[in-house]
Amino acid sequence: MDILVGSLFAGLLIGMVLALVALGLTIIFGVMDIVNFAHGEFLMIGMYTGLLTAQGLGIDPLLTLPVAAIVGFLLGIICYFGFIKFLLRGPMVAQLLGTFGLMLFLRNLALLIFGSEDRALHHGLLVGKSFDLGMGVIVSATKLACATLSVVAFVAVWLLINRTKIGKALTATALNAQGARYMGIPTEKMNALAWGIGGGSVTIAGALIVNFWSVNPFIGLLFTMIAFAIVALGGFGSVPGAFFAGLVVGMITEIPGFWDFFTYTFGADWMVDIPMTSFKYMWVYVAFFVIMVTRPRGLFGWKQ
Amino acid sequence: METIRNALDFSDFPRLDLTVAGAVSIAFVVFPLFPHSAFAMATMIQFLMFSLYGMGWNTIGGYGGQVDLGKAQYVGIGAYTTAVMLIRWDVPFWVSMPIGMCLAVGWSFIIGYPLFRLKGHYFAIATIASTLVLKDIFEVWGFVGAARGLEISPIKYNPPDFLRLIFRDDIYYFYTILGFFFLGIFYINWFRKSRLGFQLRSIKDNEDVARSLGINVHWAKVKTYAIATAFVSMVGSFHACYIKSIEPEDTMSLDISILIALMAMLGGAGSLWGPIIGAGILIPLKSYLKEWLGAQAGLVGIDLIIYAGIIMLISAFEPRGIWGIVEKIRRRTRS
Repeated sequence: MDILVGSLFAGLLIGMVLALVALGLTIIFGVMDIVNFAHGEFLMIGMYTGLLTAQGLGIDPLLTLPVAAIVGFLLGIICYFGFIKFLLRGPMVAQLLGTFGLMLFLRNLALLIFGSEDRALHHGLLVGKSFDLGMGVIVSATKLACATLSVVAFVAVWLLINRTKIGKALTATALNAQGARYMGIPTEKMNALAWGIGGGSVTIAGALIVNFWSVNPFIGLLFTMIAFAIVALGGFGSVPGAFFAGLVVGMITEIPGFWDFFTYTFGADWMVDIPMTSFKYMWVYVAFFVIMVTRPRGLFGWKQ
Repeated sequence: METIRNALDFSDFPRLDLTVAGAVSIAFVVFPLFPHSAFAMATMIQFLMFSLYGMGWNTIGGYGGQVDLGKAQYVGIGAYTTAVMLIRWDVPFWVSMPIGMCLAVGWSFIIGYPLFRLKGHYFAIATIASTLVLKDIFEVWGFVGAARGLEISPIKYNPPDFLRLIFRDDIYYFYTILGFFFLGIFYINWFRKSRLGFQLRSIKDNEDVARSLGINVHWAKVKTYAIATAFVSMVGSFHACYIKSIEPEDTMSLDISILIALMAMLGGAGSLWGPIIGAGILIPLKSYLKEWLGAQAGLVGIDLIIYAGIIMLISAFEPRGIWGIVEKIRRRTRS
């Protein structure tokens, strides 16, 4: 029983962080119909920002979030005006391959600057502390803090989109760019803002994830695919969808834990032999494929 | 007979194209006679392999306009079929290659049938997901060597072994793949004038109109996807015999899928020469950049940075590829 509750809890916590990872992707897709392959690389940059700031200034890693947000926002804006703006004129295949080029570029730039070895954070106020929730379930304090801060950041972005004038302009651009332009909304600036918010939220997620995950330049692709899965499940362009889908995908990554639970409960020997941990992320891809094929709009999607 | 005549009929191209193409083909055939480095030879074989991949992609991606970013899984199926059959049961290449093609085409029907209900971005991303699933399975499947992959040791056979395609000298590989290359060009030349080719181009232009003309859009796409798969899997089998050591990470990675699509796009998707031009530029560029810059200490990854920069420039400023530029110039001089 404790394995089941523990896995559920771990899945929920990681799911909250993953929802924040996917938020940027869904905003960018919603506003301008571009699939950003470099999304995981933005996250990787966020992770390095968090790590280097924490180590360089000697502060707690959770305090580096503002730095990461600023870096991500600027990165998004620079990418938009320096590159993405030109892609929008071309056909879809050029957009796909263009953002893939951006991904290769950022990944190898990080490889050139930081080297290929794994780096991890080992200090901080919360490192090594954990809560006992009863029933033998132990949750590490860093994960709990990261999940809480993710939800806070998520809600902040949601409020920005739904409760402010800028957010309304952003939504209008997403719904009908041409109509929005006729209404006097500067759609060009709105696109750039979408990239800024997308970049900022994902680098915050990166600075949170680096607390319990070591970073190397090649980590981006895994998170890009997870983010795609979340966005596909929640619906392309849907912000609340991204949150619920993030929780679901967090659960999916904990399938090995549930598998262990059933193995012990039923005493099924044949289940032990299947190397479930090797398939950890495969279930995410499978779920992604099934969702795409059966319901491409996702659960909450509105874009066809 | 009619089919063969159609495949060999290049008369709708301008004379300049045919002259250049003829000269380049002769240059390929006589290339090994001239002094060359082993590295140049390896690059040349890579170029021919990737132009075949690109031709395969071009049928569905170029003529059909469906952006497929999952071709690497079929490279993997072809390569693994050949390697497993050779190592375990000593089946020669010429038998295992068609079997690999059949397996890949069968898998492409299973994957393609539900996949082609999607369009645009959705289709492209779903193809990536299907590749990643297959790659993860191959990484834990003990029968095919799991993550370490398989190795064909040439010592067991006495090269040159034409049946199993095990050679010590690269020149044999070169002529084998060159033969495939010419066959591929003739096939694509037939394909673009075939009934399916025309159906596909009308689907690319306007799917609804194509459907209203009585074309079974879904089935046409699935069939073309199978053709593209057969191409890719064939070269995958060759890859297994040529490289001799295959692992999921380098036969089925996303980079291969993207590289295939990228070459066709760089050259000009939807034209006969496009993928060949694209491969002719990208493959030498990639391997020589790696040779010159990648090996220097402290500069890890700079070759790929330059390469990525080129990808970004092409997709931002000339998305129709080099063939698009050529056609633009031609149209201007004509008028």
